[in-house]
Amino acid sequence: MNLDLTPGQRAFRDEVRAFIAARLPADIRDWLRLGNPPRKQDTVTWQRILNERGWAAPHWPRQYGGADLGQMERLILLDEIYRAPAPLPQVFNVGMLGPVLLTYGTPAQRDHFLPRLANLDIWFCQGFSEPGSGSDLASLRTVARRDGDHYVVNGQKIWTTTAHLADWVFALVRTDADARKQEGISFLMIDLRSPGITIRPIHSIDGEHHLNEVFFDEVRVPVANLVGQENKGWDCAKFLLGNERTGIANVGLCRERLDHARGLAARRTQAGRPLADDPKLRTEFALLDAEIRALEITNWRFLLTDSEQKRLPAFASVLKLKGVELQQDINALLARLAGPDGLERRPSTDKVHGPLTPRYFYSRAASIYGGTSEVQKDILAKAIVG
Amino acid sequence: MNFELNEEQSALAGSLARLLGEHYSFEKRRALVASGTAHDERAWRGLAELGVTALPLPEAHGGFGGGACDLAPVMQALGRALSLEPFLPSSVLGAKALQHADDAVQARVLPAIAAGDARLAWAHDETAGRHAPWWIETRASQKDGQWRLNGAKSTVLAAGLAKHVVVSARTHGAPPDADGCALFLLDAQAAGAELRTFRLVDDSPAGELLLRNAVAQPLTDPSDSARARAAIAAVLNTGIAAACSDMVGAAQAAFDLAMDYVRTRKQFGRFIGENQALRHRAADMLVSLEMARSMAMAAAVAAENPDAEDARADLHRAKLCVGRHARLVAQGAIQLHGGIGMTEEYAVGHCLRRIHVMDQLFGDSDAHAARLAEAL
Repeated sequence: MNLDLTPGQRAFRDEVRAFIAARLPADIRDWLRLGNPPRKQDTVTWQRILNERGWAAPHWPRQYGGADLGQMERLILLDEIYRAPAPLPQVFNVGMLGPVLLTYGTPAQRDHFLPRLANLDIWFCQGFSEPGSGSDLASLRTVARRDGDHYVVNGQKIWTTTAHLADWVFALVRTDADARKQEGISFLMIDLRSPGITIRPIHSIDGEHHLNEVFFDEVRVPVANLVGQENKGWDCAKFLLGNERTGIANVGLCRERLDHARGLAARRTQAGRPLADDPKLRTEFALLDAEIRALEITNWRFLLTDSEQKRLPAFASVLKLKGVELQQDINALLARLAGPDGLERRPSTDKVHGPLTPRYFYSRAASIYGGTSEVQKDILAKAIVG
Repeated sequence: MNFELNEEQSALAGSLARLLGEHYSFEKRRALVASGTAHDERAWRGLAELGVTALPLPEAHGGFGGGACDLAPVMQALGRALSLEPFLPSSVLGAKALQHADDAVQARVLPAIAAGDARLAWAHDETAGRHAPWWIETRASQKDGQWRLNGAKSTVLAAGLAKHVVVSARTHGAPPDADGCALFLLDAQAAGAELRTFRLVDDSPAGELLLRNAVAQPLTDPSDSARARAAIAAVLNTGIAAACSDMVGAAQAAFDLAMDYVRTRKQFGRFIGENQALRHRAADMLVSLEMARSMAMAAAVAAENPDAEDARADLHRAKLCVGRHARLVAQGAIQLHGGIGMTEEYAVGHCLRRIHVMDQLFGDSDAHAARLAEAL
């Protein structure tokens, strides 16, 4: 047993750290450090810088702009990005659609889309959820009927994060109404400039605009934008949802936010004494620190176990459950640290903290998206109880 | 980074599991406790024959030179079987302390410990100190060329089974100073050493040691308190790692019992494991078990390399985390069983009892949370 990075991994970490220190624009770093979500331009700017090294899509093959990194190197890169803090590579492009195209896409689709996804020349969003189909994804009702070289799409998607910023959406649509639930679904890439698409904002609990409804009214999509086979889109969806494991625990994010909380507690005072003097608060920091370490090692254990037999079934659900719990606990702690000063709806240019209270509200989404915590527990229970 | 057991570790873990399966079925353990004997002599001989009693001892004195990472799977197996054997106090704690003694003392004592023919105990904790690691009030003073000990040591594991007891005492200074501490080797039969033996809540044998002018031999030069401090710290670090693995073993046992139970027990015409509330509790228990397992590994690695960057914090984190998560697993397992889980005659409750004892040794979760908070 040992928990050390190899000399090669250590060198890689130092290389990443030096690269970020040299290239991450300070205004982006400070903006994120205060607790703001990245602006679109921040993500684009930073992803293009990372892309110079193949680090925007580090797990992709080099021929498509990736860096062919192994699990451990990917994790190191991700942790350093969180630690900076810098924006993550755009997840719909890089973590979701890219791997689907690498596995199911045609050569033409790969050649056209992958470099653009990596460089964020086009911004994809994900059109999976629909009104009435949340965790039960396969009950979706948006339909696509074949008309010559096109599909004609009608229906509605909801909770579509960043649709208002996006150029394209990848969506699950029903192409065979008579087939069983999971069959008869297809995976389409749809240009959001197509006639018949309406995007309406959903303002979320933090008062901000991240989410949207997307309506499709007789939207014509070239058949060339079908990924995989017609009626086999569920395979792509399952692959996509099961594929992104490296970042699922969000260890680096938890650690960066906890460090920020500690810093805040040291700088902010209550009745003339630093908040950090409170033993109860210090104990809370210690508990969270220990839990983050346990999650980190659990993440390593699961990612680095090479044999499927030795690997715990449904381990991704363990990581998501615990990671989400910690993120939410830390966000709640940050809102408490912000205190009455954190109540202002849009904090001014105060450099002590950003919108920590709204971020706390929005953190409640973490146990809902990507499979609710209850769904994760169902998955785990299936694996251990049967 | 590597989380797998090596070949030797796997082989030993397998043999140990067979041995414990033979001697430590829950029924045999119950009979053993009911008989009033402190431990199972045949199981102990078996541990010696497997080389387990010799595992953590130095090769120069009949041992195998195993480190904390070699010890982890052994402790886990012993915890899983809820073993009552005096392995932890003798081969782990006592022997670790002795490795800081002069070679002649080691040569005299350790071979019999390695062979399982004699046992050591570790007498360090004191009632007034609770979880404070350096709260040593026991005094050591020199008179007529002999060192004599005065004081009281609480929770001395398997004290009644030991030939020698390693005792921490103070030559000067006052608690909570680490400075002024020294280690002594006490003959368990020495005049002035009065032992009150009892069982802990997990049925393991222990005792309280009263020292009234008891003659003891310095383990290290009593004027060299830095050396004694290093020895005590090494014993406590090893103890933390061992307790963490033991708790993971006991939590695993509780988890396995509970999963078997919900798969076979019927209520209202169906298996209780079909109820989502119970299934979700099982999922929570699995998360806790895996977190505990990860941190027990971290503790073993840290105890083996105590000077590494994260070692000190990791030991605190581990004792804190494993104590909490193992307890959650055991409590959840009792809840999933319902009434039967509350009975003396069923194993699952004994897992919680074991975990509670291990949580209280070498600083409990709260104490390590406070010390981690200091260290951060």
